[in-house]
Amino acid sequence: MRRVSALAVARIALLWAAAIFVLFPLIWIALASFKTPGQLNDPNLVLFSPTFESWQNVLSSGILDAAGRSAIVGLTTVAISVVVGSMGAYVIAKYRAGGTATRFGMLAAQVLPPAVLVFPFLTMAYALRLNDTLVPVIFAHLSFVLPVVTWFLIGFFEAVPRSLEEQARVDGFSRFGAFWRVVLPQVLPGIGAAAIFGFTLSWNDMFYGLILAPGKAAILPVAIAGFNTFRGVQLGSMSAAILIAVIPVVIASFFIQRKLVQGISGGAVKS
Amino acid sequence: MRFKYGMLAPLVAVFIAVVGFPLLYALYLSFTDYKLTDRGAPDLVGFENYLSTFTNPAFWEAFGVTAVYVVVAVGLELVIGLAIALSLQKQKWARDVTRSMLLAPMFITPIAVGLTFRFLLNDQIGAIPELLRGIGISYDFFGPGRALFTLAFIDVWQWTPFMVLLLLAGLESIPKQPLEAARVDGGSPWYIFRRIVLPLLAPVLVVAILLRALDALKVFEYVYATTRGGPGTETQTIQYFTYQTGIQFFRLGEASSMAFVVLAVVLTVIVIAFRRLERNKRA
Repeated sequence: MRRVSALAVARIALLWAAAIFVLFPLIWIALASFKTPGQLNDPNLVLFSPTFESWQNVLSSGILDAAGRSAIVGLTTVAISVVVGSMGAYVIAKYRAGGTATRFGMLAAQVLPPAVLVFPFLTMAYALRLNDTLVPVIFAHLSFVLPVVTWFLIGFFEAVPRSLEEQARVDGFSRFGAFWRVVLPQVLPGIGAAAIFGFTLSWNDMFYGLILAPGKAAILPVAIAGFNTFRGVQLGSMSAAILIAVIPVVIASFFIQRKLVQGISGGAVKS
Repeated sequence: MRFKYGMLAPLVAVFIAVVGFPLLYALYLSFTDYKLTDRGAPDLVGFENYLSTFTNPAFWEAFGVTAVYVVVAVGLELVIGLAIALSLQKQKWARDVTRSMLLAPMFITPIAVGLTFRFLLNDQIGAIPELLRGIGISYDFFGPGRALFTLAFIDVWQWTPFMVLLLLAGLESIPKQPLEAARVDGGSPWYIFRRIVLPLLAPVLVVAILLRALDALKVFEYVYATTRGGPGTETQTIQYFTYQTGIQFFRLGEASSMAFVVLAVVLTVIVIAFRRLERNKRA
C-alpha cells in the first residue's frame, strides 16, 4: 500500500507544479498590464495600486480593430473549412473516397514549411493588388486550417453508426438528404469543437499575417508584435494586448478540451 | 459514385487552390532569380539557387540550430507530457477545470508567449532571473550558449499541453483487460507501465512525436519575439533564416529553394522513420 500512496502523492505534486508553471507567466502578465512604467522596472513588486493607463493606451491604439480583423479572417477561414471539409470528410469516412491517399495528402500539408507557400501568396497578392488586405491572409490560413478541420471531422463522422443513414435512406431521404438531415446533426458538437480549434489556429498565426498584411490590415498577432519595442510604456500596453488575445481562446479551450481528445483519438490516433 | 465525388470536389478544389497551386508556383520561383524589388518577369536560372543553398554554410548552420531545438524541445515535451498525461488520467476531482487549465498554453498565440517570456526572463527587469538571484543564482537566459535552450524551454511551456492531449487520448483508448489482469497478478506499477501501457501506447507516441517535431521545425515567432537570431547566429532557425532571405533581402527565388531543400530533408527523415517502424513491427 505504501508504494501506491507514494505514487499518488507524486502524481498530485506533479499536477500542482504543472499548474503553477502554466499560470505564473499568465498572472504576471495580467499584473503587468495594471502597473505604471516605473513599477514595471521593479521585478520584485507584487503588491501595488493598479492603474488603467496601459489599458487606455492599448484600447486607443487600434488593437480592437486588429482583433476585429483577426476575427473576420478566422470566421471566414473556419466557415469555408467547415462547409467544404464536412462534405469531404463525410464521404472520406463513409465511402472511403480517395482512399488513404486523400487522408494522408491532408496530413502532408502540415509538413510544408510555411516559407514554401508564403512567397507564392505574396507574389500573387502583389499581382492582384491585394497585398496588405485580408484576402491573401484568408487564403494562407485556409492552407493549414482546412486540413486540420477535415482531419478532425473524418474522426467524428466515423463514429456515427452506419445503420442511422441506412434507416434514413429507407425513410426516403436522398443521399444528400441523409447527410444533411440525419448525419450532420449527430456530429454537430464535433463540428463545433473542430471549428473552435480551427479558429484558434487562424487567430494565433503571425507568420502569414506579418508577410501578407504587415500594414493597415494587420491582424492581432502582428499588432501585438508591434509593441515589441520593449522599453517604458510599451511593456504595459503589450501586456494588455496579450491579454486581449489570450482571454477569448482560453475560454474557448475550456469548452472544447473534451471533444478535442475525442477528435484526435478518432482522426489521428486510430488510423 | 456521383454523390461521392460531388461531395469531395469542393474540398479538392479549395485544397488545390490554397496548397497545390502555391506549391507548384513556389517550385517555379525556386528556379528563377525573382526578387521582390524586380519589375517584370523573372528569369529562369536552373539549379543556381539550389547550388547556392547547398553551398551556403549559414543555411546548414540554421539547419543544425533547428535540429538541436527540435530534439531538446520535443524530448522534454515527451517526458513531461507523458508524466502529466498519466497523472491526469487517474484524476477524478475537478477534472475538466484542471485539464482545460493545463491545456491552455497551446491555445495562446505564439507571439504573445514569446513576448511574455522575453519580459519574464529579461536579465534586468524579469521576475524569474530576480527570483533566481534571490537564491544566489545568476543566469542570463538570452546569453551566448543559452538562448537556444531558452527558446526550447518556451516551446516546452507552450506545447507540452499538446503532447498531454494526444497521450491522454491514447491512454483513454487502451483496453482495460490486460491492465487489470496484470494488477491481479501482482505486477508493480512500474512493471505494468513498462510492459503493458508503453507498448500499447507506442503508435500514439510515434504520432505525437512526429506531429510535434514537424511543428517545432517551423519555429518562428519565439525567435522573432526574443532574439531575432542572436546572439550572433546562435538562434537563427531555418524558418527565420528563410524569412530573412526572402523578406528582408528580397531574394524570393533563393528563399523558395531553401524551403524546398528543407521539405526534401524532412520528407526523407519521415520516410526513413516509417521504414524503421514497419521493420520493427514485423520483427
